[in-house]
Amino acid sequence: MATPGICDSANLNGGQKLAVKYFTVAITLFGAQVLFGLLAGLQYLMPDFLYGVLDFSVNRMVHINALVVWMLYGFLGSVYWLLEEESQHEVVGLKLGNLIFWVLTSAVTVVVLVYLLVQVGPGKESTIWLINEGREYIEAPRWADIGIVVSVLVVFYNVAATFSKGRYTGIAGVLVLDMLALFGIYLAGMFYTTNISIDQYWWWWVIHLWVEATWEVMVACIMAYGLMKVLGVRRKIVETWLYIEVALMFGSGILGLGHHYFWIGTPEYWFSIGGFFSALEPIPLVAMVVHAVFDAGARHAKNSNHPTMAWLIAHAFGNFFGAGVWGFMHTLPQINLYTHGTQWSASHGHLAFFGAYATIIIAMFYLAVQKWRGDVWMSGELPGNGWKWKWSLGLLNLGMVGMTVSMLVSGYVQSQIERAIEGSSWIGYFAAQAHPWFTQGMWWRELFGVMFAVGFVLLVWDLVTIGRGEKRTLVPATSET
Amino acid sequence: MATNQWWASESFWRKTAIWVTGGSFVVLMLLTMDTLSQISTGTTRVPAYSVINHRIEYKFDEQRRVQVPVIGVKEPLFGKELSEEEAEALVKLGKLTTQAKNCMNCHTLLGNGAYYAPDLTKSWLDQYWGTSEIREVQMVEFIKDPSDKLHNSMGRRMPKLGITDEEARGVVAFLKWMSSIDTNGFPYNFKSIEQEN
Amino acid sequence: MIEPAGLADFFTIFFSSAMVILLGALYALLFAYARIRSMPVLMPLAYLAYAGLSISTLFLAQAANLLSHPLWATVVACMLLGYLLAPHGIWHLCVGTHAAGTEKDAVTEVIPESMTKEA
Repeated sequence: MATPGICDSANLNGGQKLAVKYFTVAITLFGAQVLFGLLAGLQYLMPDFLYGVLDFSVNRMVHINALVVWMLYGFLGSVYWLLEEESQHEVVGLKLGNLIFWVLTSAVTVVVLVYLLVQVGPGKESTIWLINEGREYIEAPRWADIGIVVSVLVVFYNVAATFSKGRYTGIAGVLVLDMLALFGIYLAGMFYTTNISIDQYWWWWVIHLWVEATWEVMVACIMAYGLMKVLGVRRKIVETWLYIEVALMFGSGILGLGHHYFWIGTPEYWFSIGGFFSALEPIPLVAMVVHAVFDAGARHAKNSNHPTMAWLIAHAFGNFFGAGVWGFMHTLPQINLYTHGTQWSASHGHLAFFGAYATIIIAMFYLAVQKWRGDVWMSGELPGNGWKWKWSLGLLNLGMVGMTVSMLVSGYVQSQIERAIEGSSWIGYFAAQAHPWFTQGMWWRELFGVMFAVGFVLLVWDLVTIGRGEKRTLVPATSET
Repeated sequence: MATNQWWASESFWRKTAIWVTGGSFVVLMLLTMDTLSQISTGTTRVPAYSVINHRIEYKFDEQRRVQVPVIGVKEPLFGKELSEEEAEALVKLGKLTTQAKNCMNCHTLLGNGAYYAPDLTKSWLDQYWGTSEIREVQMVEFIKDPSDKLHNSMGRRMPKLGITDEEARGVVAFLKWMSSIDTNGFPYNFKSIEQEN
Repeated sequence: MIEPAGLADFFTIFFSSAMVILLGALYALLFAYARIRSMPVLMPLAYLAYAGLSISTLFLAQAANLLSHPLWATVVACMLLGYLLAPHGIWHLCVGTHAAGTEKDAVTEVIPESMTKEA
């Protein structure tokens, strides 16, 4: 092993070298997401800012697309990270995997440049193929859709083939099927229809089933690997719980799709389905709480990576509040009628995406850096008492909570004035937008956004510097039984 | 402490996970087939595109306790009655334009999208357009170049997006058709433009 | 099919539904903690949290006009029963799975060597 404290690719296996590339692009796009979020947020306060140059629609599109793509990169990177250790076999098509990484990354770059420089096109199908599909979250033009599908298929091939040649574990089985679903569901968003009800019906398949089903399971797989790795939990327990979580998540999540089918023209029976499965949603969370307490009580292990552990705890809280509390508050149709499509949705979306996904990918970043530097010490007594990771953790989380609460205040005003009293008319919309409580919420959101951005800068700084020159090392946990 | 209970075993939960996932998916497929048949174009929930030849209202339904779209007397869009094919072509142009101009990243449509500009679900019926006589012209002119039109007191404006006259007419047709979709009472308590003769 | 909530009930709905989730988690937390640390004194507190959860659920159901429809009232009943039993069920599962996990390798739960600091 090379000298500890230096980023040396000799410390990584083949899949992990590729994973580091994915992680690098992921954090770059995370930065783009923060930047364009700040621009869009500022336009709420100063409508003439960049008007006609980079309009709100463009900034907002880059903001949410960067979100989807950086998380996708984070997940694909995480899968490559654990692939060789889990299968105990070299990645079968590593060259192909590398090629596809560069193809996908070039495609993402071109898409973003077209978003920023071309922005819109004429009302023809060619625009949808070449510039912008104009459907929230999946704006990527059709040619890029095809690229994404091919890329995910290649990763799927690499994962399935590597596990088949090596060791096909329980985590492997879940991961392979999940990757297949990830690929299959994306196809549901790749066609044009004039009927907007049918359009949005399938659109939700992609958004909801990706985010609330396949991504959740992807996280569960990463968590399972992480628990064995960082805490040394035994495989049999971890895998049994992985199956339990899959059953609970898919059991409540797949038909939980119903809570998006209240108002898009779909029949009334979705009220009952959406309402019932919304009531089930907290069950997986309760399961996690009980299991976490049980696990913590059953072992008193010291963990070998404090930043990773801290971000996993942030994940537990963020997921619970963002998805659980914030989701449940406005999920019943009786109240969703007023909150659907207001700042409520934005508030919930911010905390849920951050809590459920950003946190765990950041945890993976720290695991990766630790190994890359030669399994360096990353527990207590870091230089400067680890102030960088602690402050970035604090600023990012506090910034996010601040933004979420600010938007909640704005959303509350909006649901009352615009929705309940004025009935979503043009006048009602702007009456709410101009209300002092609403605008104050938007100001606070921007301020907390700046705090978040500072936290992001610190995070990048820390990831680049943590463990540099560290001489103390650590043998990775072995958790095989 | 119990050991090796069947309900705590790995294989039991592997099977459960597979059955729950598979079962949920089959149910979702069945529901999808039923829903798609109920929301295809030309049904009571989602009317045919030629509905733009008619007046559309949004009225309170005593039985359902919410407002529902009501298709009224003949009132062709732009004064010209269209065949089903012509209507579909015009609405299609409008829908494509709303995608090509990225409307959904400021507005919401059927409540989905971004929150920087008003919801468009019932925008055809909005009182902003003044009276039903001048509405069509107002909408076309606004969509072609909104930058110098009155929006609100906050200075938030829609930019000029290079929309042609034909595209703007398509967008208006699309918005009129969208306002006829039965959205289970969303948006609630909406106050429509005066369109009694 | 649904009776939209009244404007006056907005706060009740938001607050009580947040409380449902928070108290649900608190109930689960106290329940699990009481068991793992063998502190039966915490158990009444767990059920107190559950009682709070029930009250919140009923407030929510009332404000969201759920109780007037048999179907929605059934959903509420399922929620109450499900939340009561869930921590019990999950606890049994924890015990069961961990027992099944230990039996193969007789090693008891210990800190893996690799976890300790290499001075």
